[in-house]
Amino acid sequence: MADLGNFALHLGLFLSSYAVLVDMLGAWRLEHSLMKSGRNATVACLACFTLAMIILWVLLFKCDFAVKYVAEHTSRALPMGYRFSALWAGAAGSLLLWVWLQSGFVAFVFCRKTQKHEKFAAGARVISNLVFVFFLIVLIFDRNPFNLSMITPDDGAGLNPLLQHPAMVLHPPTLFIGYAAFAVPFAWAFSYLKYDRAGNPSPLLPQIRNWILSAWMFLTIGIVLGAWWAYEELGWGGYWAWDPVENSSLMPWLTATALLHCSRTFNRKNSIATWLLTMSIVTYSLCVFGTFLTRYGLVSSVHAFPDPGLGILFLVLLAHIAIISIALFIRSFIQRKDELKTSLTSGLKFIVFFNWLMVLLTFVVLVGTLFPFLSGLVSSRQITLKPEYFTKITAPGGIILLFIIGICPYMLRKSIGVGRRTIGAVIAAVIILAAWAVTRRIAVVCFVTCAFAAINLAADLFERYTKKSKLNLRWLGARIVHIGVVLVFMGMAGSGGYNLEALQALKPGEDMTVGEYKFIYEKLRSEQGANFTAIAADVSVYKISEREERLIAKLSPSKAYYNESKNPTSEVAINRSLGRDVYLALDAIDRDREIARLKVLINPLINWIWIGSTISILGTILVLIALYNKKQSITEIETRINNE
Amino acid sequence: MVDLIKTKTIIRILVGIIVIGGGIGYFMYQAMQSSWSYYYSVDDFVANRTAVQSHSLRIAGIVKEGTILRDAKKMNLSFSLTGSDNQILVDYEGTVPDNFAEGGEVVVEGRLNADGIFKADLLMTKCESKYKAKVK
Repeated sequence: MADLGNFALHLGLFLSSYAVLVDMLGAWRLEHSLMKSGRNATVACLACFTLAMIILWVLLFKCDFAVKYVAEHTSRALPMGYRFSALWAGAAGSLLLWVWLQSGFVAFVFCRKTQKHEKFAAGARVISNLVFVFFLIVLIFDRNPFNLSMITPDDGAGLNPLLQHPAMVLHPPTLFIGYAAFAVPFAWAFSYLKYDRAGNPSPLLPQIRNWILSAWMFLTIGIVLGAWWAYEELGWGGYWAWDPVENSSLMPWLTATALLHCSRTFNRKNSIATWLLTMSIVTYSLCVFGTFLTRYGLVSSVHAFPDPGLGILFLVLLAHIAIISIALFIRSFIQRKDELKTSLTSGLKFIVFFNWLMVLLTFVVLVGTLFPFLSGLVSSRQITLKPEYFTKITAPGGIILLFIIGICPYMLRKSIGVGRRTIGAVIAAVIILAAWAVTRRIAVVCFVTCAFAAINLAADLFERYTKKSKLNLRWLGARIVHIGVVLVFMGMAGSGGYNLEALQALKPGEDMTVGEYKFIYEKLRSEQGANFTAIAADVSVYKISEREERLIAKLSPSKAYYNESKNPTSEVAINRSLGRDVYLALDAIDRDREIARLKVLINPLINWIWIGSTISILGTILVLIALYNKKQSITEIETRINNE
Repeated sequence: MVDLIKTKTIIRILVGIIVIGGGIGYFMYQAMQSSWSYYYSVDDFVANRTAVQSHSLRIAGIVKEGTILRDAKKMNLSFSLTGSDNQILVDYEGTVPDNFAEGGEVVVEGRLNADGIFKADLLMTKCESKYKAKVK
């Protein structure tokens, strides 16, 4: 059965290569039969990958330990749900998942039977299949999920208990859905550069806009899930460590956010079009680059699984992408330099400024992530940059971002005169800078800017509500997303600027005080589970005020020893509220003397990060619903831009 | 090619690059000042020992079997960190990650003290991608 899966992958490789050639030839010669063949080949590819996915799942469910991947990621005792998710527990399976998803998306958009823009779709298929060829070479010859092991073990190694958590089940697939979905605007951009003409502009644009938004949404969900899991499961009390693997998902997200704002206001005659095309290509390239970083081990990280193999092919792919896209851009620029004359409205100028901000932040994160590698090139010593480097730049960057969120609806409001608006904006900027000068705490500046943004968003909502009675769902959804973002920043400022941490070893009955909270450690206790034994420390948490000490919670952080594992897993205990999290982890235990070393963290406002993210996602869903219902044409969009 | 782009545009682009590039470069440099740390493998570190004592260092290596010593009150951990040819003694105070074990890959951050022992402020272990448990 594994052999069949392997064969399916080989067939997919053959079909992709065939499709590249046939579509290229067909588009060049405008031969419909060739392009149809390319279309069919792409769909057949999807069928192959679907078959491979099904086979891998069957192997996982059947516990076929002859297959190395199955033996490495499952065991007989593993619950069914986790056997399903074990498909993406490792490099080989997750690469197959990505290829399958991307194949599905590309087929859905560019392989329709009644293709109005046949040449355009063929062009998009050429670049997509080229990407598949590279991916498949790595998948088949380096990270093949269907490889058999020399000896069939009796039982598999099982899934790391850390990964047996709902967030970890969803985190890889949502990220990969995002990555795969960005291949659609990526392919579209290439075809646009080659085939867009004044008389036949921007085919498939409304669809691409929806894809960009959906892809962004999934990428956001994936990143937030990862952060949430880190906070809940890993026990160090934080949610983001600026690790290279984390950064590789953040960088495409930053450019994707820029891409998102460009697609909303697309007009093929001005520079937004250039931004849209560049960001489409850059975002997907960063997704590929991120994979290359983590699998190739260019930079060492606590998450990196360096095993070079054929990972270098990703870099070769990126080089191809860069060369082809630059050539197409130059050609397009030469051909159409007289068309690009339309100047930008002030609203669009904000978008351009925002895009630059995102690009610069991405660049900063990229340099920081690659620094050990880069410094190793120029000197004999490798230099790593600690998280402080990233936060020192992204924190001010975030403040600027918040300021734009506030200032944009404000500056576009026509009810106040331009002069007054500018003065208002300058006053706001001065207040924010004054906050920094006086307090020298970035968290305070963040709060002030959040307040500014929130006030402006609220005023904008109020004005719209009083002016128009009809509800514009898309506009509302977009505003909700921004509200969510402001809340997330509020959460980050609170937990980043005002958190308290303490580590202390206690005997039974002893207590420790952190901030306004007192923790009395009572005793150690054993717990038995289905496949684990745990030792828990019972702790009573009191809130101290002037008059009294009030019991607010009993928390029991523990260390769980799973049967399959040689290392314990920390289970943290959290008392949550909107105002703060009281986070308790059991750091170390001395069973003989019943000493427990407790790690206490007080994280103010941290739940607003999760709440804000959820609100943003809901806002995005509202926008998607609105867009799906309306199915707008390009002329509608251009009319709106001209009216704004 | 040059006459395709107006001189004014070229100047604008150049000024933009200088201003933005300079600004961002300055910020990055400032941010790097206090947040960088040399990164060595154990063998490289031992070879360059005298040259790098002053600054904060990160060293990557493998925990040597049989060298883990935890203090009675568990506030202190010491072990030997090895590379292929050399090893150094590490002293660490703080939270020990759950998957810290003999034979594991770790990165320590800190300074070498006068006695030649590496005093670590930070201890990082690698997150296992493939779950290496007891395979029967």
